[in-house]
Amino acid sequence: MTALTAPPETPARAALGPARLRVALRVLPALLLTALALAGPWLAPHAIDAPVVAPYAEAGGEAPLGGDQLGRDVLSRVLAGGRELVVTSLLVAVLVTAIAAVLGAVSALRPALGRIVERTADVLMLLPAVLGILLVTLSWPDGGRLAVVTASVVLGVPYAVRLVAGAAAPVAASGYVEAAAVGGERLGHLVVREVLPNLRATLLALFGLRFVAAVYLVATAGFLQVGPQPPAADWALMIRENSAGIVLNPWSVLAPSVAIGLLALSVNLAAAALVPPSGRKAVTAL
Amino acid sequence: MAGTLTGGEPAAASGPRPVPAAVRTALYAAGVVARRLLLLAVLLAAVFAAVELLPGDAATATSERGETAADLAARRRLLGLDRPVAERFWDWMTGLPTGDLGTSARGEPVAGLLAHPFPNTLLLGGLALLVTLVVSVALGCWAAARPGGGIDRTVSASATGILALPEFVVAVALVLVFALWTDWLPAVTLTDADGSPASWRMLVLPVLALAVPQIGWNTRIVRAALADEAKAPHIETAVLDGLPRHRILTHHLLPGALPTVAAGIATSTGMLLGGAVVVETIFNYPGIGSVLAGAVTDRDSPVIAGVVAVTGAVITGVLLLADLVRAWASGGRT
Repeated sequence: MTALTAPPETPARAALGPARLRVALRVLPALLLTALALAGPWLAPHAIDAPVVAPYAEAGGEAPLGGDQLGRDVLSRVLAGGRELVVTSLLVAVLVTAIAAVLGAVSALRPALGRIVERTADVLMLLPAVLGILLVTLSWPDGGRLAVVTASVVLGVPYAVRLVAGAAAPVAASGYVEAAAVGGERLGHLVVREVLPNLRATLLALFGLRFVAAVYLVATAGFLQVGPQPPAADWALMIRENSAGIVLNPWSVLAPSVAIGLLALSVNLAAAALVPPSGRKAVTAL
Repeated sequence: MAGTLTGGEPAAASGPRPVPAAVRTALYAAGVVARRLLLLAVLLAAVFAAVELLPGDAATATSERGETAADLAARRRLLGLDRPVAERFWDWMTGLPTGDLGTSARGEPVAGLLAHPFPNTLLLGGLALLVTLVVSVALGCWAAARPGGGIDRTVSASATGILALPEFVVAVALVLVFALWTDWLPAVTLTDADGSPASWRMLVLPVLALAVPQIGWNTRIVRAALADEAKAPHIETAVLDGLPRHRILTHHLLPGALPTVAAGIATSTGMLLGGAVVVETIFNYPGIGSVLAGAVTDRDSPVIAGVVAVTGAVITGVLLLADLVRAWASGGRT
């Protein structure tokens, strides 16, 4: 019924002007912070698991941000505590985007699958993501990081598929895809060669949004003590462990909080900048 | 599609025949309720499957070092884990409507564990939902009053900024500012004899910590829904008729945006109940968060399954309300 003749996303390519520069500027903080979190463990001046000062010692001297509950250097632990969060979140975001890209394109080509995904998303709406993570990690005590990743991916995929399927629908209905289908191309070819290449901008935006959601979920799992286990340095776990000493050394809680807050803000800023202008409302499908 | 084309006709014809319209409404409502209940049942079946299929069960999770295989088998029998899967599935699904949420790994009924904390969590989540609704509608309207203006840009940018913040980060900031540095509000919830918060002041910070990210989320939704609605022809007519700005907002824009706003708020319910678990831990609030913290230590999967079942039922209720608001706002056109 809706035979769109215009290819969806070409104009952004030619324009290398101020709009692109603005997107780059808004993505930059997230890239810098992610790089810092990844390189952090190498920059830490002290070991993360050996006491340097007195428990909850005030900032200064050996420990610029003071000591934590066991007197370990807060600065070193903050530098070291972001890598696992960032790596796990990136892994979740990549997996969700890749799975959703394929399933979303197939859903647009085969509406029966689309309806199943819709119903799955309706069911998962009844399951708060935080409780879903707890359900999987408690039912699978030896799962470790794999359990957190699995739960985050399962909980994220249906919404992401919905978003991709919505963006893929006009492409799937276009003349060249119909021609390829009539020409006898198989489903795999249609998905990979005909539909997905036209959804690059959507998939990039989706990746950004899923990274935002993954940082939230993985950090919350860490805070609820179902993620990294002591003595590992992890921003969310540090907040939980040191909350008793917030009066003695506020930095032991404030520093990891600022780190998570900045990561969430900058990644969100980047994701919002990556969303194509026509698809702004899709943000609500996070 | 066909409905919108012939939309004027049945509306005109339904006037002299009130009874069939009422029947149709009742049938529609029954259909919505049945659909929501079916989705809830599917979720509960999926929860059982997840607990069942993932490696490890409640008996091994709570086992202590040096325990023999016989001890383990005995506890399995005690927890009913030795019975056939089909039988346990039947018990789980038929027990839930009667309030039986299963047995924890320590052998206590889960419903009993949740009886006192869950109402406290509902109070916290309900208040946060109310604050979210009021503040995000107010901010959304304020921003929509002058599209593209300074207020609009500030509100939209801050809303986008805060929506991704984890609740515990917001909570730490609130505790530092309002409890430690200014000493205006308590950072810890004290309970009175019956286990509920002793004073309303102890609810302020937990409610704010929960509501702030959701306010960011819903302000964006309200703002976008109002922008969509503003493009409708009847709004243009109202503007050309010279109606006052606030009257257009309250009588023309908001009613049209209502279904979208209701759906957004309903979606937030799940986020609020999930976030409550986190926020309660920080403020020592006597809700399901403390029960779940114990469940994490024990790796107690039946407890989390029970909590998921109850929250699923609450969210189903809120989504039903949103369905009905949508049906009412659209005047039976859907």
